[in-house]
Amino acid sequence: MAAFDTSGDFAADRDRRPLPAREVGRRRWFPKLAAHGARTWHRVRYPLTRRRPLLVHTGYNPRTLAAEKTIVDKRPLYWLAGLAVLAVAPLFGSNALLSAAAVFAIYAAINVVWMLVIGTAGIYSLATLAVVGTAAYGTAWLSIAHGLPWWGMIAVGPLFGIAFGVVIALPAIRLEGFYYALLTVGLAEVCRVYVVQSRVLGSATGGLYGADSYLPDGTPERIGLTISYFAAFTVMLLALGLYRLVNGQRLGRLLRAAPEKHEAFAEALGINYRAARIQVFLISSAALGFIGGFYATYFKGASPSLFSMDSLLLLLAMIVIGGIGRTEGAVVGTLIVVLFDRVLIDLGPLRLACIGAIMLGTVLFLRGGLFEIPAQFRAWREKKKSERRALIDPRGGETMPEEASEIRDKQQIYLRRFDKILRDRLKALITPELIEAHRRSPAGPHSDALERVLNYFRRAAVTDKYAVLAERPFEAYRIVALSGRRGVAPRMVDDHIYNTVAEAQHAVFLRRVHDLMES
Amino acid sequence: MPEILRVQNLSAGYGPLTVLHGINLAVNAGERIGLIGLNGHGKSTLLRTIAGLTGWQSGSIRLNGAEIGGTRSQGPGRYTHRIVRLGLALMPQGDALFHGMTVADHLASGACTRKAWRERRARQERVLEIFPPLRNLLSSVVGRLSGGERRMVSLARGLMGDASLYLIDEPSLGLAPKISIGLIEALCRIDLSRGGMIIAEQNLAMLEGKVTRLLGIHAGKLKGGAEGVFAALPHAAAGLVAHAS
Amino acid sequence: MHLDFFYVALTAATLASIYGLLAIGISIIWSSLAMINMAHGFTFAISGYGAWLAAQAVGANPPAVLAAGILTGAIAGTFIGAVAFIPLYDKPNFTLRSLIATLAISLLGGQFLLWLFGPRVKALPKLFGYHSFHIGTAVASADKLGTIACSIALMLSTLIWAKRSRTGLEIRAMMQNPEGAALIGVGLRSTAMAVMAVTGALAGLAAVLLSQTYYVSPYSGLIPLFKGMIVALAGGLGSVAGALIAAVLVGLVEAVTAVTIGGQYVLITQFLFIIGILLIRPRGIAGMIETTRE
Repeated sequence: MAAFDTSGDFAADRDRRPLPAREVGRRRWFPKLAAHGARTWHRVRYPLTRRRPLLVHTGYNPRTLAAEKTIVDKRPLYWLAGLAVLAVAPLFGSNALLSAAAVFAIYAAINVVWMLVIGTAGIYSLATLAVVGTAAYGTAWLSIAHGLPWWGMIAVGPLFGIAFGVVIALPAIRLEGFYYALLTVGLAEVCRVYVVQSRVLGSATGGLYGADSYLPDGTPERIGLTISYFAAFTVMLLALGLYRLVNGQRLGRLLRAAPEKHEAFAEALGINYRAARIQVFLISSAALGFIGGFYATYFKGASPSLFSMDSLLLLLAMIVIGGIGRTEGAVVGTLIVVLFDRVLIDLGPLRLACIGAIMLGTVLFLRGGLFEIPAQFRAWREKKKSERRALIDPRGGETMPEEASEIRDKQQIYLRRFDKILRDRLKALITPELIEAHRRSPAGPHSDALERVLNYFRRAAVTDKYAVLAERPFEAYRIVALSGRRGVAPRMVDDHIYNTVAEAQHAVFLRRVHDLMES
Repeated sequence: MPEILRVQNLSAGYGPLTVLHGINLAVNAGERIGLIGLNGHGKSTLLRTIAGLTGWQSGSIRLNGAEIGGTRSQGPGRYTHRIVRLGLALMPQGDALFHGMTVADHLASGACTRKAWRERRARQERVLEIFPPLRNLLSSVVGRLSGGERRMVSLARGLMGDASLYLIDEPSLGLAPKISIGLIEALCRIDLSRGGMIIAEQNLAMLEGKVTRLLGIHAGKLKGGAEGVFAALPHAAAGLVAHAS
Repeated sequence: MHLDFFYVALTAATLASIYGLLAIGISIIWSSLAMINMAHGFTFAISGYGAWLAAQAVGANPPAVLAAGILTGAIAGTFIGAVAFIPLYDKPNFTLRSLIATLAISLLGGQFLLWLFGPRVKALPKLFGYHSFHIGTAVASADKLGTIACSIALMLSTLIWAKRSRTGLEIRAMMQNPEGAALIGVGLRSTAMAVMAVTGALAGLAAVLLSQTYYVSPYSGLIPLFKGMIVALAGGLGSVAGALIAAVLVGLVEAVTAVTIGGQYVLITQFLFIIGILLIRPRGIAGMIETTRE
């Protein structure tokens, strides 16, 4: 294929990815596009990068020899379609739906950044809402007490986020796993208690209200809601972009080299995974602060519900349902939970029960959330296949699929199978009477069964074939095994010396029968 | 002679890999069987598959007539505890000890049936007679003992129950020759009135003359008798092999 | 100050015994089953309701109410084990999935209790009577003494049972070496059910005792669960002795805070105290001396 492929650049073409290596027995389908025609040197790339969108791979079809393009990475298409639907769909709903959609976008943004902390950095922090809350309260208070305008709130939010992030990052160095998670929960609880009591932060009114908003006063409700929705949607897009930037570039790669419990290997390579983790943590805290600032301008204030356990549980449900470690999971999970929580509000307290039931179902049946279902299904199918394969006995002549795909001449596989069937038939024919018949006359007329057996033996390959060596003709004979190679002497099989040819021939027959029965 | 264990055409392995191919084996009451083979050829896999800990793929395993194969389990065997209650005692490689418990607790834990639990004092005395050095160590925590003492604890624990089949995996592994000879002699002195024993070993010299039968395992296939052992341990001198069978 | 000190000590002891009951349960479940049981609060709440139902049926009969609470706790514990442990214990991602499963059970259970019994709180009859004892110049109410006595009694009997009985031995074996435990005939599922039942019973007793002071409500288990968790963590997950020591310390902190600064700051001070302990000894008070799981 490489000989025909004239589409290669001379320079080191880093984004020339081959089709992903296929595992044995699995054929994956890739969408094919029309070839490039006459413009063989034309490439479409993302601006300022050398990466081709959709990882389009140009090649030649081995059967038709026609040029074609293959889309290797279909995910951007799914993302585009999904985001387009999400951008447009709520506009056709009621006001309540529109505001619920905006809430969805904000929570989705929070969850995507949370994915960065849990998935990429591997720090099990449950304080995301606390960071958002701190920034929201901080900026709201600044706006109410000192008149900070809305763009100031959004700009100052990350500062609050980083400050809080530094506070929670310090214990992360000492504590791990569940201990750290509980510490963050406790911290959120502490914040909640403080906020509920502090008069400055609106303990009397149940939260701060009156912060500046980006909507000018007097905007009609529907237009205001639409603008807010698109603003929140933009925030979500920014969060997704940040995830892509951090996870896909250097920091993410460094951290993928140091998975949980295997950090020592990365450290031995000189990767400072601790610094990388803290950096990701601080970046995400800043992002959460930004979202907190936006939250304050959106809701024109902040309430203690941001620090409560109920909201935390809801957020946890969102990422669990979608699957931890994937942004698509975070978004879809948020969609499902917000759907239940805000849209199906007529169900009343049943909503929470439904969300709990979905959470339980997801965790009991799915290995890693909704988006792990294809992988889980494939793994299950592989397991069933391997169980069936284990029943195939390779000794007899069945070829394992792994071997089969490596053997160039597929006729060999059928030949082996035929050989096995033949051997099974012959094993059934061998009886003590047959052996006795051969002993009586090794060269003489034989029965049909004996003829078949002998023909099979005679047809065997020369390598390691038993033969009779006449040491002293008419007096001493031995059995040897031919080497099958020119110039290499046959090897002695044993020391026994036979007095007549007939005895030696019968001995050879016995050995061959023994080998047949053993095989 | 009742048949304690009958393995027919057993294939076992890990995932899609098959380590044991078509094993056929029978252990009668009163027999002590030595299973000889090099590392990695399937001795431990065979014993663990009989105990239900790992990779059964096809074939039948019958303990005292009851079928115990047939389960593809992952991890520490879903049904191992039931197989143990049916009368199997496996003393695995690596001892499988509880590092925080005392020796006395270990011996008590070995008594897995109700009857054994009620009689555990008497059985403990009996086991201490077989392994006298444990008498002074009854209240020591197992995590602090030496290798030989730990091996003794593991073997003693297996002897506390009502097992009719003992599977012992490499009792001499990692131990000084004097200690391992003592252990194997103790094992071979145990009265096997209605039970059977399979000792898997790499070291042929330790078992020759002390066991009823020797089996060789090579590349996952079992070969009986002297020829089998010779196939499994090609460096063993012919003289040793002649004595062993 | 003499009176104050005694009052503080008594309150601390009462709280310590209740937190100890919960913390031991959480610690044992973690070290033997590798599961973080966030539904322990649900066990707590439902045991309170079980005891209340018994009180409605039988009247203020202390043994019956206590027994009903303990039994309900055991049954709830077994149910949680059957739903969150048995289906998941050999599947990948077990720790996270069982955590979420227990959280979901807690959520569902709270809603269920809310639906069944309504949002109004229920009161349990006073089990230990209303009188107080005078020890020297200090006053101790029968409530607190009864709580301490019952908790100690049940904890001691549980610990003795764990040390002496075959099931206790099996649980300890399972904690330290699952393969070794399988080889001595320990059925993982039946032992897991036993563990969940026993820890559920402990939580049930804690619920009945605590509901003398606070009421029974659908979400009454959340704060005790949280406190039990932090006590178990501070003591080191898996260590009963550590959990007990931590329970005493945390109870002391709570009592001192309640008396000096005020009840609403209790959570903050307890939390800061726990942070302090964890920062000095990241694995808790008892550390990792005996157990093998982290």
